[in-house]
Order: sequence, then C-alpha cells, then structure tokens
Amino acid sequence: MPVENPFQDPLRFERQVPECVVVIFGANGDLTKRKLMPALYRLAYDRRLSAGFAVVGVSRTPLSDDQFREKMLDAVKHFSEDTTFDESVWKTFAEGLFYVAGDIGDNDLYQRLASRLTEIEDARHTGGSVMFYLSTQPSQYAAAALGLGSAGLGKGNGWRRLVVEKPFGHDLASAKELSGKLHQVFDESEVYRIDHYLGKETVQNILAFRFGNGIFEPLWNRRYVNHVQITAAESIGVEGRGAYYQEAGALADMIQNHMLQVMSTIAMEPSASFGATSVRDERSKLLRSILHMSPDDIRCNSVPGQYGPARIGGQDVPGFRQEPGVDPNSQTNTFAAVTFFVENWRWAGVPFYLRSGKRLPKRVTEIAIHFNPAPLAMFAGEDAERSPNLLILRIQPEEGISMKFLSKRPGSGMNLRPVSMDFNYGSSFGERSPSAYETLLLDAMIGDATLYTRQDMVEASWAAVEPIQNVWRGTRYDFPNYAAGTWGPAASDEMLARRGHVWRKP
Amino acid sequence: MSATVNPDRVLKELADLWVTLGKENGEGGAGILRACTMTLVVAAETGDDWSALGETVAALMPEHPARTISIRLCGSGERALSERVYSQCWMPFGQRRQICCEQVELTASDSALLDLPPVVRPLAVPDLPLILWCRSPRLLAMPEFKSMASMAQKVIIDSEGMPLKDVPRVAPQGVLLGDLAWTRLTRWRETLSQVFENKENLAKLPALKKLAVSHVRSQTNTAAYLAGWVSTVIPGIETAVTPTESCDSLCARLTGDGLEVQLERQQDRLAVTVNGQTHYTSLSMFTDYLLMREELSIVQRDPVFERVLARFSSGSQH
Repeated sequence: MPVENPFQDPLRFERQVPECVVVIFGANGDLTKRKLMPALYRLAYDRRLSAGFAVVGVSRTPLSDDQFREKMLDAVKHFSEDTTFDESVWKTFAEGLFYVAGDIGDNDLYQRLASRLTEIEDARHTGGSVMFYLSTQPSQYAAAALGLGSAGLGKGNGWRRLVVEKPFGHDLASAKELSGKLHQVFDESEVYRIDHYLGKETVQNILAFRFGNGIFEPLWNRRYVNHVQITAAESIGVEGRGAYYQEAGALADMIQNHMLQVMSTIAMEPSASFGATSVRDERSKLLRSILHMSPDDIRCNSVPGQYGPARIGGQDVPGFRQEPGVDPNSQTNTFAAVTFFVENWRWAGVPFYLRSGKRLPKRVTEIAIHFNPAPLAMFAGEDAERSPNLLILRIQPEEGISMKFLSKRPGSGMNLRPVSMDFNYGSSFGERSPSAYETLLLDAMIGDATLYTRQDMVEASWAAVEPIQNVWRGTRYDFPNYAAGTWGPAASDEMLARRGHVWRKP
Repeated sequence: MSATVNPDRVLKELADLWVTLGKENGEGGAGILRACTMTLVVAAETGDDWSALGETVAALMPEHPARTISIRLCGSGERALSERVYSQCWMPFGQRRQICCEQVELTASDSALLDLPPVVRPLAVPDLPLILWCRSPRLLAMPEFKSMASMAQKVIIDSEGMPLKDVPRVAPQGVLLGDLAWTRLTRWRETLSQVFENKENLAKLPALKKLAVSHVRSQTNTAAYLAGWVSTVIPGIETAVTPTESCDSLCARLTGDGLEVQLERQQDRLAVTVNGQTHYTSLSMFTDYLLMREELSIVQRDPVFERVLARFSSGSQH
C-alpha cells in the first residue's frame, strides 16, 4: 500500500489540506464570523480543502446544522473581502458544516461532540484527524482542553491538534500554568499558538528578504545597524472593547506577542533549514537573549501612555477614560514604547525601539532599520546624520520594502539629497495575497508549525515583558499623557532622544 | 518598411520612455514604479489576434512584470525588420502610483528571422530569464526557430495540433520546455491528486485497473498527457483515450476494485465523483492568461512533465 500520494506535484499544485475535521469552539463569536469562516471558505474556493473536509461549530446557543450553515453563509458573504461568492462551492462546503451546542464547562458537551465526530468520520472518511480551534474567552482554554481530554478526544485514529488564540496567559506564571493544563491532554507538538501577525505575507517576506539574499546579511549586525524601530500604530480607539482592553493594555496586547515575534524574525540568526523546529529554535533563542531590565532601567527605557480626548478631522474623539466600560481613573496603557537590547554578539548595544498604541495618527505597522552613517562626510552640505540609510519593511497597510539613500541632486555642484527606492509587494505582484488566517489555518491543518508560537517563545517573551509590566503596575501615572491623533507621549520621544535618536513618522 | 533594427537605438528609446513617463507623472502624480522579473518574447503571426494578445500580456504584467518583446511574423515576401517601443502602464486598485513595463514590438518577415537573435539578445534585460512564447506552429516547424529558442531559458508552446512525439524536440538541449496542452491539466491533476489524499482511497490505488479519457478534438494532446501522467503514477494501468463531442472538453474515469473516480468539467466547475458521491470545485475556463500565468511561474525543471514527455519521445505511449 502506498504511504505517500504518488499523484502529488509540488511544483505546480497548491498545498492542500488532508482529510480532517476542524472543531471551532466559540462558533458564534466574532472571530469565527469575520476571520475563520471566510478563510476556510476561501481555502475551499481555491480547492485547498479535501472533499471530506468538515467543520463542527461549538457554542452555547442552540442551533441546528442548517441554522449554523445559514449563519456562516451570511458571515462568508459579509466578511469575505476579495473572494467571489460561488454558490456551488458554498453548497459543497456547507455540506461539511455541523453544529454541536453546549457549554464548555459541561462534560456532556464533549461526549456529544465525540459521537458527532465519529459519525462524521464514518460519513466523510476524514480518517479521524481533528483540529480543535479555541476561539473563546482565554479563561476557557484550559477547561476546553481538559474537557476534550476527559472525553478521550485528545487522541484518535488520525492526528489531533489544538489551536489557541492569544493571549497566552497574562504573565509568566499564568502562561506556564495554561501550558501545563494544555499539556495534560495535548503534547506541545500538537499545540498551535496562533499569532496572526506571523501569517502576514510581509512578515514571511522578512525571512525571504533576509535569508534568500546574500547582500543584506553582512550588514545585519551591530557594526552597520545603528538602531531598529518597530511601530504598530492604530488610528482607532478601543471600539467598544474598553472593558477587555482595560485588563490588557498595549504592552500585553501587542508588544508581548505580535511585536516581539516580529522583532525575533528581524533579529534571529539564520536557521539551518526552513523547517518548523529550526526556525522556531532561532526565534526562541533570540527572545531568550533579550536583556531583562532592572526597575531603574525600565523607568529609563519604557514609556506607558494613555490617550486623552481630542478633536480629529472636525470630530470630537473621546479619551480612553471616557470610553464606555472604562474606569474613569484607569491606569491602563493604550500606548507602550520600550527600548529592548539583545544580548548576543550580533546585536549587543543596538537599541530595538518598539512602540504600539491606539488613537495614533494613522494605522501603520513597519520596521525601520537605521544604518550607521558613512564614516566620513566628504561632500559639502551633506547631512548624513540627519538622513541615514534606512531600510523600511512595511507590514501594513501597504506591504512592501523601501530603501532610503543619498543621491546627487541633478545639476552642477555636488549636492546630495535623500531618495527612496520602493518595492510595493501588492502592486509589484498583482496576485491576491492570502489573508493571515488562510495561511495559518492551512499551515496548522497541514501540520506546519513554523509560523506558530511555541511555549518556550511565549515564556521568553513574558520573561522580558513582565518586569516592565510590574514596574508600570506599581507606578501611578498622570494619565492621559497624549492627545488622540498624536504620536504618543513626549516621554516616548525623550526616551529616544537620550541616545540621539528620533522616532520616524511613518 | 525598414529592413534593419539597431538595438542601441531601441535601448535609447526605452530609456527615453522612462524619462517621459517620469515627467508625465511628476506633476501631481506619485511617480511610476519600474518592475521587471524577466524578458518575455512573444512570437505570433500577423494574422493572430494581436488585440487579445496585447490584453493577455497586459494582464500578465502585474504578476510577472517583464520587458516584453513582441515579434510580429509577417510571413514570406520582401525582407522586413522594424521596431517600435512603447510602455504598458497600470494603476493598481487603491494605489497612487502607476506600474509600467516596457514593450518592444519587432516585425519580421521570414527572411529576416535569422537576424532576430542578434537584435533580441541585447534588448533582453540582463541577469533575468528570457522566456520565449511561440504561438506560431509555422515558426515551430522552421529551422530558424532553433536559433531563436537557444536564446531562451524556457520555450512555451501549445502543442495542440502537432504530434506529441515531436514535442520533446522543440526545445534545444538545456532549454526548458512548457506546453500549454500540459498546463491545461494542472487543475484536473490537482483535483485527482486530492482524491488520494484520503488514506482509504490511497490504499485502493494499486487496485485501479483502467483509465478512460474522452475529450473534444481540440484537447487531443491534453487528453494524451492525462493518460500518460496516470500511467507514470500507476504503471501497467490500461488506458483508453477517445475523442468525443459529448463531454465538455475532457472527462476522465478511473476504475478498479472498490474505487471509481470520475472527473468532468461542467462549465466553470469541475465535478468530482468518488464512488458515486459528487462534489464540485471551481474551474475557470482556460484562457491564455491563466495558462501563461502558471507557466511563467516555473522557470526551472519540471520533473513530472519531463517524465510524461519522455513516454512520448520513446514512443511507449499510445
């Protein structure tokens, strides 16, 4: 009997999902409707899913299979951004949608789920492979995993995988505790911690850019790189999520996970291969190399912020404390800026400035690598200090890469001016880029964990961030300290100014 | 009509083109972006649908930005060789900046064909692959084609209408070959492969005994390739390839103990029936754009195609 499919042709065929069932806990939630179901439908549309592929939605609301299909149809039609709706593809896809109602804390749910999975396995020949996706409140992750374990669903005829959304704990101890509970049922190799930033095309392109080209890597170190700025700015406020956000804040919500993952991709050593273990080993090593700061260092190298009310574009915008559900005396950081240092030979002494915030002037995520100026200013009027070579890796909204360098201004005399050379990912290649969730769901179903976060990476991130969180929690700040629509508190600019640097205005 | 083309002059015209485009966009515009991943040489007869061909090339540019050299073959008669230079620009949706690619159009009579390689070579973008898409069966049969093909990293043809045994000899030694008659099969092959991602079906693969392919006349080689491909995967399988007008392009049926798989195009979707259970996937109607889009993505050896092609060159198939 053949073990591998001899019809495969990787050169021409798209990667395809083997027969399996995806069980989504929180099937009535926003994430399922806005991201997961449109992504799965798109995979079906692109012929990535097998004929027997099935989805089982799990949620408390009582629904029949048909009612669930109706809801998901609405979601796909409403939230698929650049996908043509095809009735016949939907019909085939919808035949594989099922629903089980129940409470995550109720053991009976898992027994019913087990029976349903057996029926589906028999009817759709899925071979017993199941991926459980926890799109629920983080407080329910452990209960769901343990419930699956108690019903014997952690093991089966095929593979079993568990996908969890961030946050992975709210500090180092809780991250470890959560992992401990997940590991009672699932092996670490079966746990896929999703960080949708890593699924973005440009974040993956960082790896291609760094390790597919020979010319950048020699410059990628403390000799040539002056400092690195990573910005993840949002122009919107908390948008009705004030109560949730109040507990998290920008440091935990963005820097601890997304931004440190991006930083690890920028700064990691080349891996021996593009295998999941090799790449994640290098990311993990980098995260473990981040300097853990003392409380005094933290006060110099980090800045929390919270936006206050302002008038933007002729409209009054409330401050964070005026948002619904937010404590009027809240000390939550809606802005966080941190200077990290990496203690290894490549990066020793190079500041990595990370900032993230809400209600900043625009929505933008980018990495700016500032190179050292030329050692000798030989041209009159040259201001290389003011115009250093810059490499900008833009993650959103317009994915691409720009290089800024000095060039002679046309005409007589040797006058230089900075010019920017742009590579725009979306317009240089007209092909549609898959959404982050398409990429990540496909990877998880195929069993490729390269873009997923491993437990040691989560712990290393918390180990770097938790001391900052502790200092901030122990300090009473005079919030709000920046007006909505500005680039954050003045202290954030001062943090860079102390090293002679200036935040780039993206 | 002029009978000479000076590559240096063409290159200067190309350079001037960018200056002009830059000026046009300089005032109030966000500038233009110059992108290039290859040189695409398209050879087609004057009688070909040049308007449709232009649209195909334009559609390919966003994904495969290239300097395009179109060769208009004007047949026998007075020796003629001439050129014109222009650009193809587009504004990506939601963007402020135009993307432009260069186009050079050469017109050549049969007697000037041997003069083409010395003109095309200096016009090719350095350090990037040169792909020759030959749409003219007449040119393929001419001895001059070899010298044109030897400039390329890859030659793309559509073998429908020519004997399959001649296909392996189209590309000179060391030049990659793409055949759109094979490319038409990719989605079919992918869908068939998907059936065997299921372990139960995979276990029954050795039990498959027969493949029946029926096809419309215009897809004779595509059908033969399908049978050839399945034969390389399941050696010894009995294959029957028959022309028909009753199916929509192509219909394939694999049968054996406990497994029956049928693939059939139904307008813009592919119906896949496995042991009586049918499901559908989207299958766009093949256009030159879709086929070329795939072929231009593959500038490397294609071992699966080479294996199938070898069956025809050795005459072991059919």
